[in-house]
Order: sequence, then C-alpha cells, then structure tokens
Amino acid sequence: MALAGGSAEAVVEVKNVAYRYRGSETEALRGVSFSVPRGSVTAVLGPNGAGKSTLLKCILGVLKPLSGDVLVLGRSVRKMKPAERARTFGYVPQSHNSAFSYRVLDFIMLGRVPHHSMFSMPSKSEEEYAIRVSEELGISELLGRSTNEVSGGQLQLVMIARALVQEASVLVLDEPTAHLDVSNAVKVLTVVRGLVRRGRALAAIVSMHDPLLTSLFCDHVVVLNRGVVEACGPTEEVLKPELLRKVYGIGFTSLNLGGRQVPIPEV
Amino acid sequence: MTAGDGVRKALIVLSLPAAALTSLMLGRYYLPPQVVFSTVAQAILTHHAPANSFSVPWVIVVLYRAPRIVAALLIGIALSVSGASLQSMLRTPLVDTYILGVTSGAAFGAALAIAFLPPSIPVEPVAMVTAILAFIAVLTIAWGWGRGSVIALILSGIIINAIFSALLSLAQFLTPNIHRLAAITFWLMGDVGRAADWWKVVRMLAVIAPCTAFLLASRWRLNALSLGDDEAKALGVRPSLERGLYSVVCAVMTASAVAYAGIIGWVGLLVPNIVRLLVGSDNRVVITYSALLGGTYLLIADDLSRALTSQEIPIGILTTIMGAPFFIYLLRRAGRVWR
Repeated sequence: MALAGGSAEAVVEVKNVAYRYRGSETEALRGVSFSVPRGSVTAVLGPNGAGKSTLLKCILGVLKPLSGDVLVLGRSVRKMKPAERARTFGYVPQSHNSAFSYRVLDFIMLGRVPHHSMFSMPSKSEEEYAIRVSEELGISELLGRSTNEVSGGQLQLVMIARALVQEASVLVLDEPTAHLDVSNAVKVLTVVRGLVRRGRALAAIVSMHDPLLTSLFCDHVVVLNRGVVEACGPTEEVLKPELLRKVYGIGFTSLNLGGRQVPIPEV
Repeated sequence: MTAGDGVRKALIVLSLPAAALTSLMLGRYYLPPQVVFSTVAQAILTHHAPANSFSVPWVIVVLYRAPRIVAALLIGIALSVSGASLQSMLRTPLVDTYILGVTSGAAFGAALAIAFLPPSIPVEPVAMVTAILAFIAVLTIAWGWGRGSVIALILSGIIINAIFSALLSLAQFLTPNIHRLAAITFWLMGDVGRAADWWKVVRMLAVIAPCTAFLLASRWRLNALSLGDDEAKALGVRPSLERGLYSVVCAVMTASAVAYAGIIGWVGLLVPNIVRLLVGSDNRVVITYSALLGGTYLLIADDLSRALTSQEIPIGILTTIMGAPFFIYLLRRAGRVWR
C-alpha cells in the first residue's frame, strides 16, 4: 500500500516544460517545473485559460512539449511507445462526446486497448476485471446502460473505471468537476482520493479551477497562471489568500475549518 | 446482451442463407428448392457438370445464379464493412466510402473507358485505377496538409468528389456518340449482373476477403478511434496513422466492388446504421453484423432488381428506394437511442 503523502519520492517530474500551439504567438506554457509526490492527489489549479489542459496533455504525451521533459519514475515520457504511455497514465477527460453511444461495460473495457495488439480482442477475464472495478466504484448498476443515458457525475465515474481497467500507474483527470453539481463533484473527488489512498494508483494529477475543492481534496497543488507556475507545494501552505488574489483577481479569506485553513472568495 | 439482442442477431445471421437459397430459386425460371439443393450438392461434390451435361437447372444455378449471388454478397459486404469502419473512425454516422473519393473516381474512369476506349478494353481495370487515383489524391490532401485529422479527411474527400464529378460530366459531354453516352448512364446506375461471372467473382474475392478479414480483426480498436483523437492517444492508439491504414483498406475493397458493379448507393450508409439500431454501437458487433446484413441486403435488392419486372431494374436505384423509407421507419422507432 502506498504511503499517504508521507514519502517525498516523486512519481512524476515535470521539468521546464514549454508549449506553443501552432499559429499562436504566445507560449501556452513556459518553464513549467514541479513534481508529483508518491501517494498524493496533486491539483493543477488555475483560472480558465491558465494552460491546465495543455499541461495535462503534455504530461500524457498527447502533445509534444516544445522543450523540457516529463519523467515518470525517472523515465522520460518521450521515450515511451504510445501503448506504454497509456499503461502509465490513465486519462479521464473533462467530458466525453462521441457520435456513438456504447454500453457502459464496453466503454470501460476500452481501457484494455493499450494491453492489446492491433488484432486482438479483450478476454472474458478482462471483462470480469472491468466488472469488479465497477463494483469497487459503486457503478455496477450502470454497466448495461448506454453512455448517453448516464448523468455527468456517473460518466466521470465510468471514465475513472476505464482508467483503472487500464491498470495505469498514475491517474490524470482533466477538470473532473467542471460539469458537475457540488454533490457529484464531492463524490468524484472522494473516489479519486480513496483510490490513491488505497494504492490503486501511485498518484493522481487533477486539474481544478476551484480553490475550495482543491483545498478540501488535494494534498499537493501546482498553481498555474498564464502558462507559468505561480507556486507549488502542500495545499495548505500554498493556497494563501494573497496568492489566490493575485491569480484570480478577487479577494479571498482564509477560513478555519476544523483546524484546517480553507480559502473562500470574498463577496 | 439482452434476449432481444440475441433474437435480432440470430435473425440477421439466418437471413443470409435464407436469402441465398431464395435467390437460387427465384428468377425468370423458377427452380423448386429440392432441385436447387440437388444441383448445388452435385456441383460441390463432383466439381463438374452431370453426365447429361448442361442440364437446365445446372446451367441456371451454377453458371448464372450462383456467381451472381456470390458477387452480390461480396459487394454488399465490401460496402457495408467499409461504411461501418469509416463511420467509426471519422466519428460520424453520416459518411460512407464515397467520402474517400473512390466512387466518383471509379465513375469517371468507367465513363472515360466507355466513351473513348475501344470496346475490347474492359471497363473494370480503368475504373479501378481512377478510383485508386482519386483516393490517393484524398490521402495526399488529408495527410500532406491536414495531418490526417478527421476534418481534413472529410474535407479533402468532398473536394476530390467535386473534381471527379466535374470530370465525369466533362467525359459525358465529350462522349462522341449517343449510344456510348447511354452506356455510361447505365454503368452509373450499378448492376450486380455485370459482375456475375466466376472469374470476376474470384478477382473480387481476392481483394474483398483479405480487406474484410483485416477490418474484422481490428474491429475492437475502431471503438477506441471513435472516441476522438485525444482519448484514443491516451489509450495508446496512433489515431492519424491507424485512420490512414484503415482508410486504405476500405478504399481498396470499395474500389474493387464499384469497378465491377458500378455505383450502388446508400448501402454503406444504411446497413451499419441499421445494425447499430438493432444491436448497439460496439464495433465488435457492428462490423461483423454489417458484413452479414450488408450481404443479405444487397442480395435481396438484387433479387428484386431481377424479379420485379420483365426488364431488370438497376440495383443502384433499388438500394436507395428500399433503404430510405426503411431507415426513416427505424429512426422513428429508435427515438433518442440513436443520435
């Protein structure tokens, strides 16, 4: 079982990453460096347009950084083959939008793709594994339904199940709470934190736009603003009102919640 | 899988041999089932004509109807399987292999051959060559300038189709005589009878069988491609490379079918969508059942084209006229399941 934030060993190291989109003059990311400790839920926090999704795509290897490198357990993501990268990172996109609706079980099974060659099919035991994973996440009653019949919160859990079936070492979630109401947001983040605590993943990298949810659920935070890292470290140390005011442009107060400081926007 | 799913799958599977048997019986000269069975058994077991050589049923079954049935099945399979695969990898249920330029390329080649080449030169190889040329043009635009994205592929398909349609009109306009112009018009309507010759069937088989086998073998992976490029990449797929590979396979087998039988519209669009409405969108099922239903659908359309009137109605007309209302009915019934 992985230690909960106790060890300082880095699972993912982002080193001086820069990225620029084709046809764009400004760099979407500049000199981004931070590390993700083993056993942590690490948030990439920032306002809209800060470069969070771009950073996640660079970590995943979906985008190739202009410069810099991303290391997973000391190995460069650049040197990995696509299937190997997919066995390293389990990606949960912000939302899923397909022209075709799949049965939830079939959708979750797609997590097995990186474990197969081009001409092979998943086996019965892999399907049983997918069913066990959905029981673990409490979504087994959805398995027979179609992906366009489930709610946003359920779909997030379904995509998390797919990432677990992928047996990836690190979970990467792109704004999992963006389209969710507060109860579903809490549910999804609780599940993610539980998975990391139970050692089902070495760490989780979650992009977030809400400082409050970040302080409640994430051990570690990287604050991104206009493509550069503003601060990074343990959540409680980093998310101070002054920093948040600078990044979001509005005032924040720190509220004591059972001995824990949480940032609340001033209204 | 629900019980309803099972029943629908069984019906699709059984309809193919049923349609094949009926097709052997039906025609201007009706053959009762027992005659069909004994003739087929004889042909398969002895590999040659009976002692009283060239009995009427033997000639009808072995030389006329059987190759035509196999041709219809092959063409139906090629169009439906490539339609289903393309819809998945381009992430839209609204495309067909026409988007790869092969159909309009073949049409132009056929018109060229019929209008300007001596009748001794067969139309098929010319149509095949122009079909492949059109596809290469689509690939060049989509991958040369558009890095193989979905939108680049669809747009380059539209551009090349427009160019080849214009070239087809030009060829028709410049056709030296009215009989050849009529021949072009008939070619464009599509006719399985043209491919109903064992030698042609073997040549089509040599292309369509391996292409279909390839897509069947990689059908699960098409699901991953249908999720979109970012998600596909995160699952270890190289979307642009694999899309390129699958579209080559689709284009080659469609070119083969179209070169022999002419233009048979709507099958590649209609059949995979019907299959999805009946048994769901998982390509592990869709590709397989599109092959089965595509074969059956074209066979039935061809039977109607042979049997409805004293003169054969071109099958391209029938596939569309039969398909469209049926599709509307299915859409209404499916309601919001299909979107």
